[in-house]
Amino acid sequence: MTITHPIQTILSRSDGKLFFIVVKNMILALKTTDNKNYSICGKWVDDLDRTPFLKQNVLKEQARQIAANEEAGISKKIKKNDGASSPASIIKKEAKVPVPGSGAPQIYLQIRNLALSRDETKLYACTDSDKAIVVFKIDLTTNENCLELVKRQPYPKRPNAITSTLDSKSIVMADKFGDVYDMPLEGDVVDNVEELNPILGHVSMLTNVLASQDSNGKNYIITSDRDEHIKISHYPQTFIVNKWLFGHEEFVSSLVIPDYKTNLLFSAGGDHSIFSWDWEKGTLLDKFEYSQTIKPYLTDRHLAPERFQNETNDSIEYAVVNITTFKNLPYLAFFVEATPLLIILKVQNDGKLSFFQDIKMSNNIISLSSVYTTKNIPTFAVTLDATEQAGMPTLVELAEFDEANSRFIISKDVCGPLNNFIIDTLKDDKIAQVEKSSIFPLYTVINLKKHGEHYS
Amino acid sequence: RAHSNPFSDHQLDYPISPDQMDWFRLYPHYYDETKKEMTQKVTIADIGCGFGGLLIKLSPSFPQDLILGMEIRVQVTNYVEDRIIALRNNHVKKNGYQNINVIRGNAMKFLPNFFEKGQLSKLFFCFPDPHFKQRKHKARIITDTLLSEYAYVLKEGGIIYTITDVKDLHEWMVKHLESHPLFERLSKEWESTDKCVEIMTNSTEEGQKVERKRGDKYIACFKRLPIPEII
Repeated sequence: MTITHPIQTILSRSDGKLFFIVVKNMILALKTTDNKNYSICGKWVDDLDRTPFLKQNVLKEQARQIAANEEAGISKKIKKNDGASSPASIIKKEAKVPVPGSGAPQIYLQIRNLALSRDETKLYACTDSDKAIVVFKIDLTTNENCLELVKRQPYPKRPNAITSTLDSKSIVMADKFGDVYDMPLEGDVVDNVEELNPILGHVSMLTNVLASQDSNGKNYIITSDRDEHIKISHYPQTFIVNKWLFGHEEFVSSLVIPDYKTNLLFSAGGDHSIFSWDWEKGTLLDKFEYSQTIKPYLTDRHLAPERFQNETNDSIEYAVVNITTFKNLPYLAFFVEATPLLIILKVQNDGKLSFFQDIKMSNNIISLSSVYTTKNIPTFAVTLDATEQAGMPTLVELAEFDEANSRFIISKDVCGPLNNFIIDTLKDDKIAQVEKSSIFPLYTVINLKKHGEHYS
Repeated sequence: RAHSNPFSDHQLDYPISPDQMDWFRLYPHYYDETKKEMTQKVTIADIGCGFGGLLIKLSPSFPQDLILGMEIRVQVTNYVEDRIIALRNNHVKKNGYQNINVIRGNAMKFLPNFFEKGQLSKLFFCFPDPHFKQRKHKARIITDTLLSEYAYVLKEGGIIYTITDVKDLHEWMVKHLESHPLFERLSKEWESTDKCVEIMTNSTEEGQKVERKRGDKYIACFKRLPIPEII
């Protein structure tokens, strides 16, 4: 029996009339005028066949090996049946693309890092298949597909985070290998990925990237990594490091600068606190510890891996996946991986953080974003892991700000129709209907935790 | 073992930030008991200091500076530590070798955890691991992206010293340093008058090994340029 694959991301345009969701390797655009009736207005599936890429790599490696052997004066010997050998200067066999065996880990090809350009005219995403940034023009004048692919630039290593530069002319991408690239939206695709040069880098896996501007109008790129670092570099003069923000003792997974006060920066990851910084001055303003709030929601899933377990087998590990802010409302929301709890903090004028509210969702949260509905109400959107839920799954939940009571409330009147429409759309979709065993790993952030297992 | 993977999660000790570093433990002679603070900061660093030959030669030549060696291999670090303890004990009357020490660390990841902006005046890279394979070039200690971090910890006018017996690596280092906007190569004449170049050429264990094998030594030194106007 198949189930509907969870939604990895949800985004909305700020007028609340256009939503984007990602399911596996598919992007869907949903149009509405009233947040009650929806229609699909765009769809893109990354159905790229990876075989030619693998083949290309295999051939390249073969050519390299042949060249290296020739340089070293080794020519491949072919053994004959009589035991003698003869040199074979030409390798006749064409290299084969290796096929994974039955025990090989499953390869998941999903779409990651969905983002809207700052002017909301373009949609950006990253693909696993060819490790590319893809750019779509959003064209709602057409009655067919509003997502028009305008650029697809592959990279040598998998993109882990992207951001739009302030002028919306470039996308800055941070990869798994520690390098940051600047991709102009205009201009041709670079075919040979080895010609692409990073603008800055860390010797560590990068987890996030932001572009921002200080009060003097100077531009910066802010990057975070697995080694507790947050680095601030000038932009476009990325060869000048401005500063580091020191204080994290575990990996950093999430960075966000709120639009209403752009000298603030919030960060979190494997530490049990949300950090609040003045990134322009380089000062830590506050740390909000959430370990007591989340404690009742930690389960066996949060036990440390066996080989890093303590003697009493109760060592737990957990991490923040994402922090989200609004354009002009001083609250932030975040969630801890593999828990159903949305935690909302109030942000004071001086950057201090205080607990505001928590909301228990019906299932574990997979992704969190801030969206707008047509009522123009700031809303936190979460997508949920309903894979264990019997009956109608709840894939999305929305928590909107109720100004009269100054609380966030689950907005049933908006959430219900949206959820129903998505379920209805996906129930016959070949991509979205999957066996339980082939669902993408949903809880991967904790894997960033270092255990210092190499004692060399 | 001769090599260590700079990308892996080593069990390393490093401060959360430069102001959290306990320098007293390394240079107790330079600690002001009444003010409870160090009287000096580290200004010279030898990245991948190996067996410590350069540190030991630099020590008497730069009595006003604190000199730190960083080495990623545990056993080599332990050896250098023992060597410095012995030297300090043997020169206790003149307080010799109090200005050098070594820590085990991964400079490619954690240099900014130890040093503040513009703290260093000299940074040495002597006989670094060549990482011959093309796809391992990111593991080299000199890359475009790392140079920006070295430029951060070096003060304006500070110097990067490089020496290697591998021509290909030398050319790689020169190419990357020359193309970096914050570094400018120093002339052969300058090299011939600089005492560190002389020490670096003759004092390190690697250098002496190359000497015995009658190999070549390639030297290149670079000055840290002022930060240009921010656009």
